[in-house]
Amino acid sequence: MLPRSLVLLQLLLLLSSASAWKKDEFRNCDQTPFCKRARSRPPHSLPSFSVADVSLSDGSLSALLLPPSSHPLHQVVDSASHSDSPDSPRPLLLRLSALHGGILRLEIDELETASGSRRRFRVPDVLLPDVDDRLRLRLPRLGSPAPGLSTFPISPGFEAALRHDPFELVVRRSPSGDPVLSFNSLGLFDFETLRPKRHGDGDGDGDGDGDGEWAERFRSHTDSRPRGPQSVSFDVSFHGADFVYGVPEHALSSSLALRPTRGPGVDSSEPYRLFNLDVFEYLADSPFGLYGSVPFMLAHGAGASSSGFFWLNAAEMQIDVLAPSSAGRVDTLWMCEAGVVDAFFFVGPGPKDVLAQYASVTGAPAMPQQFALAYHQCRWNYRDEEDVAAVDAGFDEHDIPYDVLWLDIEHTDGRRYFTWDRALFPHPEQMQQRLAAKGRHMVTIVDPHIKRDDSYYIHKEATENGYYVKDASGNDFEGWCWPGSSSYPDILNPEIREWWADKFSLQSYKGSTPSLYIWNDMNEPSVFNGPEVTMPRDAIHYGNVEHREVHNAYGYYFHMATSDGLLKRGDGKDRPFVLSRAFFAGSQRYGAVWTGDNTADWDHLRASVPMLLNLGLTGLTFSGADVGGFFGNPEPELLVRWYQLGAFYPFFRGHAHLDTKRREPWLFGEKNTALIREAVHLRYSLLPYFYTLFREASVSGVPVMRPLWLEFPDDKETFNNGEAFMVGPSLLVQGIYQEREKSVSVYLPGEQSWYSLRDGVAYGGSASHKLDVREDSIPSFQRAGTIIPRKDRFRRSSTQMVNDPYTLVIALNSSLAAEGELYVDDGKSYDFEQGAFIHRRFVFADKKLTSVNLAPANSGAKKFSSDCVVERIIVLGLPAGAKKAVIEPGNREAEIEIGPLNLRAGSSPVAPTIRKPNVRIADDWTLRIL
Amino acid sequence: MRKPHLRLSLLVSCVSLLWIAAFATPPPRESLGIAPQDENYFRSSVIKCKDGSKQFTRDQLNDEFCDCPDGTDEPGTSACPGGKFYCRNVGHAPLTIFSSRVNDGICDCCDGTDEYDGKANCQNTCWEAGKAAREKLKKKIATFKDGVAIRNQEVEKAKQAFAKDEAELAKLKNEEKILNGLVEKLKEQKERIEKAEEEERLKKEKEEKRLKEEAEKQAIEDKKATQDSQEGNVDATLEKSSEVQLQEGNDHRTEVEDGNNQENTKSDEGDEVDDQGNIESYIGDDEPIDGLSSTPTLEEHVVESEDDNMIKAASRDDSAAKAASKTSEEQDHAPLDTEGLSKEELGRLIASRWTGENVAPKTDEVRENAKEEGDEYRLDTEIPEPAEESYDGYNSETDEEANRYEEDDFEDERDEEYNEDHIDPADSYYSDEAGKSDHSGGSSWLEKIQQKVQSVLQAFNFFKTPVDLSEASHVRKEYDDSSSKLSKLRSRISSLTEKLKHDFGKEKEFYSFYDQCFESKQNKYVYKVCPFKKASQNEGHSSTQLGRWDKFEESYRIMHFSNGDRCWNGPDRSLKVRLRCGLKNELTEVDEPSRCEYVAILSTPLLCYEERLKELQQKLDDMMRQPSTHDEL
Repeated sequence: MLPRSLVLLQLLLLLSSASAWKKDEFRNCDQTPFCKRARSRPPHSLPSFSVADVSLSDGSLSALLLPPSSHPLHQVVDSASHSDSPDSPRPLLLRLSALHGGILRLEIDELETASGSRRRFRVPDVLLPDVDDRLRLRLPRLGSPAPGLSTFPISPGFEAALRHDPFELVVRRSPSGDPVLSFNSLGLFDFETLRPKRHGDGDGDGDGDGDGEWAERFRSHTDSRPRGPQSVSFDVSFHGADFVYGVPEHALSSSLALRPTRGPGVDSSEPYRLFNLDVFEYLADSPFGLYGSVPFMLAHGAGASSSGFFWLNAAEMQIDVLAPSSAGRVDTLWMCEAGVVDAFFFVGPGPKDVLAQYASVTGAPAMPQQFALAYHQCRWNYRDEEDVAAVDAGFDEHDIPYDVLWLDIEHTDGRRYFTWDRALFPHPEQMQQRLAAKGRHMVTIVDPHIKRDDSYYIHKEATENGYYVKDASGNDFEGWCWPGSSSYPDILNPEIREWWADKFSLQSYKGSTPSLYIWNDMNEPSVFNGPEVTMPRDAIHYGNVEHREVHNAYGYYFHMATSDGLLKRGDGKDRPFVLSRAFFAGSQRYGAVWTGDNTADWDHLRASVPMLLNLGLTGLTFSGADVGGFFGNPEPELLVRWYQLGAFYPFFRGHAHLDTKRREPWLFGEKNTALIREAVHLRYSLLPYFYTLFREASVSGVPVMRPLWLEFPDDKETFNNGEAFMVGPSLLVQGIYQEREKSVSVYLPGEQSWYSLRDGVAYGGSASHKLDVREDSIPSFQRAGTIIPRKDRFRRSSTQMVNDPYTLVIALNSSLAAEGELYVDDGKSYDFEQGAFIHRRFVFADKKLTSVNLAPANSGAKKFSSDCVVERIIVLGLPAGAKKAVIEPGNREAEIEIGPLNLRAGSSPVAPTIRKPNVRIADDWTLRIL
Repeated sequence: MRKPHLRLSLLVSCVSLLWIAAFATPPPRESLGIAPQDENYFRSSVIKCKDGSKQFTRDQLNDEFCDCPDGTDEPGTSACPGGKFYCRNVGHAPLTIFSSRVNDGICDCCDGTDEYDGKANCQNTCWEAGKAAREKLKKKIATFKDGVAIRNQEVEKAKQAFAKDEAELAKLKNEEKILNGLVEKLKEQKERIEKAEEEERLKKEKEEKRLKEEAEKQAIEDKKATQDSQEGNVDATLEKSSEVQLQEGNDHRTEVEDGNNQENTKSDEGDEVDDQGNIESYIGDDEPIDGLSSTPTLEEHVVESEDDNMIKAASRDDSAAKAASKTSEEQDHAPLDTEGLSKEELGRLIASRWTGENVAPKTDEVRENAKEEGDEYRLDTEIPEPAEESYDGYNSETDEEANRYEEDDFEDERDEEYNEDHIDPADSYYSDEAGKSDHSGGSSWLEKIQQKVQSVLQAFNFFKTPVDLSEASHVRKEYDDSSSKLSKLRSRISSLTEKLKHDFGKEKEFYSFYDQCFESKQNKYVYKVCPFKKASQNEGHSSTQLGRWDKFEESYRIMHFSNGDRCWNGPDRSLKVRLRCGLKNELTEVDEPSRCEYVAILSTPLLCYEERLKELQQKLDDMMRQPSTHDEL
């Protein structure tokens, strides 16, 4: 008996000591042939391409890109095989076009040949459908200011200059000619054209020349690479830039901007990898690839100008950021395993311009449902209906609002999604209805791995219809995931997406109700026994597309299909809510994302801010990190700090791993319960402001959670500040990232002062303030010159707040002026698209507050009205003495007294407060302070 | 009792109907949400916030604007986050809710008074709900009444049992003293005999050697006869010196044991005693005769087990131990060898990182074992203990407890064995012969032994050579019998001591729990709770320790078991059993609300306290009386 028990112990030890990031299970650049090849070339070491046959057609510029004649295209190709062989370098087709608003598009692909060679993969359904229609050139003719140079304007003040030999593309200001962005300035453009496999081509087994070109092994997996090498790489330079940002998803705890990965003074580093992976216990700071990929980079510099570059390619990408060789320029190297060049240059010039330009190509974030901005309570797993009821009751008992209760994989019958474990959840409809009666919603998980079980209807249908991704030999691909042996719907296929979407109908998804929404996890896709815990690259998708070509977008299509399913379920009238772990450019159109399986430690708390900021900059503003940390057990202090920070995340959800101790907010003693309640209440009171910001994001692409430099683009102090962030234009928040921290230094940018959200105390701008750290809140400030709408009545869930009155908090700037916005609609339907919304601007000047209608007069056929009134107006920075306010129309009076900033026990009166002005938010009115 | 209540209920229903009518129109603003005991507080024209921060006028009471940060001024509206709203709930019990529930569209008070803005249509359900609540309360009271009676009997029984055990312990201690004296004497005698035998044996050996040499000479002379005669000789030698051989075997055995038992501080005599025990168990291959033999028996199992799994497991054990001794850092960077795995194994392995399921990546067999055995032995493995302690699958003793008896290591072993035996009521101390006689005939068995020993000792003649074998065996047998009895006695003493040191409640009411286990079957698991000992979750043959007895909590309302088997990535398992009044002992509702933190409910009459019964009756009376109070107003 004894020895056996010891063995168990050892097994346990092995397992527990194994809980950490498995570096060796993921490829580094050196183990990735295309990356190794591309990275080994120094600038200007490649013979250069040249441009020929420039012409205008269909509103765009076309040209041939001629490979270097004196050298073989690929160094790896045996130079003995020569010009007549199919391997000899072939010209490429280059196309340039411009879109409204300062966007240049560059496409480079192989010429279609008669030899039946396969066309390279172009990622479908990511760009907005009208992008192609919007393509156009501003001028009918090209300019050629110098021989061998073609120029044309992109937008007022910007032009593109194409140098013919050597090939280089520069986006520059006109007429000054100052470069903004350039392509191939370092001469690193390379394009491995498809070629048939010849005898003697490397098969991956040998060493040397053929390294990984036609087959490659990684650990126990072999990638058959039947199509051989087809990588694309090039350099992009950002001129006038000090920092670059974006290209999520990477764990970044020590920097907001992307730190250089190569060059003088840089410790050797991996490039930033974009390859969607399910990474167990990821590190808090590393360039390795995580769950999602957005190949969009922004640059910003001291000239207060920004630019951006987006490469639409879903294959594995590796990106080097070179240490600046000269100030004000950042060079980057982009390497990709397959696909074509389909790249977009965004000229800015302001950072918000870049964001709008990117949004005009991949779409702005969808307008979420109001409830989705409130607090979400999740755990792997809420075990059964009793557990759900108890947690639900716990929130009520402790007067902590929440809106959504989540069920993880264990709610299903053997991890067959769309089913219920009927022993644990015998009455799912009633359970959801009970929550719905309190205005609450439920979210269940639906993952892409389908259990291979003939009695499971999804599997049966998918098998019969041939809806699964195929393996390299053409059979349904089988991988291992939560349910055991599983297959994966080939969601790249629009027909299959349609089929998948139908599974969410109330008829099809038994036990679902209209208050149920969806969570897509594991959609990288995660394949436990696959290479790097994902699908083999030689698996085959719809249209004979290899998985390597579409990998980074798999989760995107899955998210899309799920979101479409909910849209269909609601007859197009109910905004979907779908949280996805994997993402790609454009995922913002389909729902929220989160930063995956983080860990309950302070470093991950810190990392959440730069991670979410970079997600927001690349369109994915509806994002959050698991509050409390997924793995491990947070100390109460960490948990409280996480709630205090998470209350400002755009997506605010507490979540925990199966093996962690329960951590519902009331389980850590009265004091901590009160602190968490306070943090959640703060979020709920700010919901009108958040909702207004989401509206702004859905129109402009400007994220809800913003790096400071987005609001203060000329303040260099802010450029790499990853500890603080803005929520919209008006709030600044800084996390507390250390245990028992006594004091913290907070940099407040801009000329205007800032008012502490906690007590209304004013702090000067453009200065660092050393502040005492308080237990009850993290440093957060309202910028002088802004007006924030709040709702200060705390209900069980946001649903019950609909009719509650507003509080306006006006923070006056040095000229005693301020303004802010409020957007309101029904919070769930698409009627707002037809004008059913209220959009007000509040302007305070000359002691007069005016509510101005921002909604266009003829915005649509539908109307939204609200009887909500403003019950309280707090005016920070108003000189004392005011006693009354007069409201027009009606000539009513309202009293002014000194009141507290927040309605909490023990708060003291700090600012003039207008009692019960009771003006309707839907109306025009003016309030004059006497 | 019941009839007057019935009449009262009728009255209540009439009154409550009146109240429903009254609430059809919203109540006056000034009294909204205010509890009767607070009504006076709000009567003045200027009212202070309860926290003293400021004051407000009566106009500002419930005016939908929060003036007091503590919510004093808005008990009847949702304007203050900290406010409390009181609903009378005539016909049921009054309720205080968060004022954030006021006019939120959800009916919280059964009288519907929290929703007065006309947006929600709340029915007055107080009478219905109150009736149900009263019925429930009445049932509970009935249970308590019966329970209190049972409890009183149980308490009485427990007290008696406790007193009896205390008395027995005192008696046993006395007997132990006497018996110990006898055993000492016998031991002395036995040693002398053995010394004499040893001398004799040496003599004999010499003689045999001489004979053997002669025989060999003869063998050389006559080769043909060699084989037969040699065999004959060996046989003869074996026969004659069987004791010697056994002795050697035992010496070897002792070494093994010494090697394994670092705490073995036995005297030389002790070793000999042990040898004797071994001989018996060896020869007889029967049930171990006394506690002493149990240890060697264990060794035998370990060394000679033919269970392949065990041997494999043991050898794996080494490598695993080595692997585990590596620093975790090394582990992190050491590439996990996944080459040899099948696709499915790899999938399971990776999945196990998130789930912590036991997946042995290399040996299916081990994995299956792990699964079969469940977590039964994790506890043992996690706290490295001397082999003999781990052997005791029961393990009710902590190291600390064991050390209490460290002046005599034998005690430990026997003690544990006793405990082990004791789990099975069929094999208890009392089933033993000595025990029976003890039970029936007081100390007569001891007297008998005393006489017998006396006679044996006297009969033996030391000066006779060679030693009289039958006399010597008499002494030995008597020694063995007596020391066996002594060890049983000691075992009983220590188990009684162990038992009596527990806290059995204010009235020792939980004394009977000591020898009881409670089981509950939930789905595939059987939960077994043995108060003062341990709790486990059993599935088929595998058993997971949910915890070892820790203590009572919340003044004997919770039994806490802690330090159970460790969870992957999680805490040690633990169990809290909440006790509540019921007519019989019944374990129900075992649950794991937090990972590896179990809770259960045990109904027992022992929790049917008389005071609580009075409280409940008071509560019911209040519920019945409430309407009439209002009637008076």
